[in-house]
Amino acid sequence: MTTDPTAEARIPGVAMQAHGLTKRFKKKVALDNVDLSIPAGSVTALVGPNGAGKTTLIKVCMAFERPNSGHVEVDGVDPWKHRSAALRRVGYVPQTPAVYRGLSVEDHLSMARSLHSTFDTEYSRRRLSQLGIPLDQRADTLSGGQAAQLGLAIALGTRAKVLLLDEPLANLDPLARREFIQVLVDAIRTDGSTAVLSSHIVTDVEEACDRLAILGNGKILLDCPLHEARQQHILTDSAAPPKGGVAIGSFAGKGLTRLTLWRMPEAGAGVTAGGDAAPAPDTASLEEVVLGYLAAGRGTTGLQLN
Amino acid sequence: MRARIFLTLKQHRFETITVVVLCLGVAVAGLVEAYRLNSIQFPAGCTPSGGGYGFDPSRAPTACDLATQKFHDISWAFDMNMVALFEALLPFIVGIAFGAVLVAREIEQGTAPLSWALSGSRRRWLMGKLLAVVILVVPLLLIAGLTADVRQGAMNPGLDPHASFYYYAERGVFFVFWGLAALCGTVALGTITGRTLPAVFLALVICVLARGMWEQAWDRTILRQLAVPQDSSQTSGYGADLWVYQTDQYYLDGKPWNGDINAWWNENIVCVGAPTPAPAASPTASPTASPTASPTVGSNGNVGQAAGPIGCQDGGTLPDKVMPPMQMTYVIPGNQYWLVVAVESAGLFLGALFCAGVALFWVDRRRPY
Repeated sequence: MTTDPTAEARIPGVAMQAHGLTKRFKKKVALDNVDLSIPAGSVTALVGPNGAGKTTLIKVCMAFERPNSGHVEVDGVDPWKHRSAALRRVGYVPQTPAVYRGLSVEDHLSMARSLHSTFDTEYSRRRLSQLGIPLDQRADTLSGGQAAQLGLAIALGTRAKVLLLDEPLANLDPLARREFIQVLVDAIRTDGSTAVLSSHIVTDVEEACDRLAILGNGKILLDCPLHEARQQHILTDSAAPPKGGVAIGSFAGKGLTRLTLWRMPEAGAGVTAGGDAAPAPDTASLEEVVLGYLAAGRGTTGLQLN
Repeated sequence: MRARIFLTLKQHRFETITVVVLCLGVAVAGLVEAYRLNSIQFPAGCTPSGGGYGFDPSRAPTACDLATQKFHDISWAFDMNMVALFEALLPFIVGIAFGAVLVAREIEQGTAPLSWALSGSRRRWLMGKLLAVVILVVPLLLIAGLTADVRQGAMNPGLDPHASFYYYAERGVFFVFWGLAALCGTVALGTITGRTLPAVFLALVICVLARGMWEQAWDRTILRQLAVPQDSSQTSGYGADLWVYQTDQYYLDGKPWNGDINAWWNENIVCVGAPTPAPAASPTASPTASPTASPTVGSNGNVGQAAGPIGCQDGGTLPDKVMPPMQMTYVIPGNQYWLVVAVESAGLFLGALFCAGVALFWVDRRRPY
């Protein structure tokens, strides 16, 4: 007899999954029948514009929001049914660095230790020391980047199997972003944990992630490994379809050239144009892939690549 | 757990420092005032009763007059009134100050998601915070309450504060229980609203209403079970052995009388020399309820009739020393002090537990923002 709620529900190789997940805020549909599966050990970029539902999805995983229908499982545990068990498996970094005014960095680690039974204070302390963040400094006097690093250190200190990072880079300067990503990647590779990193700026997460999930208007528009996302999509500046390609969406590229994103059935299969007169297609960058899908999800061609 | 308590208090250090300073300040001020009053040392047989300030200028002041004047110089002074005011408000200030911020500030400042994500069980998280505050405020309020007992005893020489209902709800262990009730009530409001200021304002209104209605509510429900008719041995006054908890004056035979007092009178007054009365028609009246009842004399013949002027008919006459029923006072003797304190404290404690339950229920369901 076991009291572990995951004993039967856990699916090997899957760290997090959502089935038919729907969340409404009055008339606004934040998540619309979302199905998503995050493989264990992966680092997934959850990308979408503001209001796409990224934060809502993470909040449902944290049991901060209750879904209207469907369910989500974190390491096989439904957070709404077994909150304690689910949260033991999750490290969370909120959108805005949450620090207690008047408490020092060390106090934050002590508080985390008193709240989370398996919190590894030494591990967090070491990571912060490596970054040169003084442990005795008051947390409300830390810079934005340092506060974000403190949030990450606390999340990593939980030694959780799944890390959920809700746009932690949004308020950071480029250097702080790079440092944050570096620490995150290093920790994940070392610990072998799974991470979901949400962002609305794809270039931020490109180097850290090995998987891409695009969320637009509350729907999952694409969910695949990063290399597939790059290989299976091509970009043309005309409407002439490449052989076997499926048009995803059009958007205004640099110089306001209209670009169309195509998905090819096999990796590398679509590198030849369909017509003789058609220009040779380009391999789409990750940002272009995201823009193409977002344009499709929005039902508009008004997106512009900067 | 020690780290948790320390960090909770450090996190709310402004409230912690304020509460510690306020409680100890009120306690010390109360002791100082009590010492000043006690140092007057009234001459034997002299008490500061009588209420008048000063003394008859046509005669030489006695030692008692001088002591009384000195006593009133202190007991009616501004600083004494301030101490009394702070004593009356202290449990509410302490409860609201901590209660409003405990959950609401975490939600306002965006730290609740961090704590709740780490803790897993929000109930355990809130209980830990509540425990830290309770551990701090209970001893502080108890100290302040006991010094209020001392000050109240000094204000009434010869009074045993623990056998008297004189301002009994504004001293002693009531500090602790009012403080706990205010704390838990405000925590519940802060958890529901998620905002500090609305929680403070709502808590203030509710505390004023609760405190204002508390004694009346207990008078009309629980405490009347303990009330007995007042007799001469329970006379209140300075130096009396027993101080009484005086219930409302409209008790008739242990039951409230809401009708016309003249009607009661006409139904129950027993006139000397009149025919034997018919059985009483009023369910609220009984022979024992009439202070002038006597089975050997007749009635006024007005039993069951509409209210009319007081008087005897059929040749009967009013007995001597008629005491109208509205003057009959039911009291709880001072020797029941601890029983009353226990009953009311239990009521407050249950209220605090209920509010804590509401907060724990709500914190589990609400969003952390």
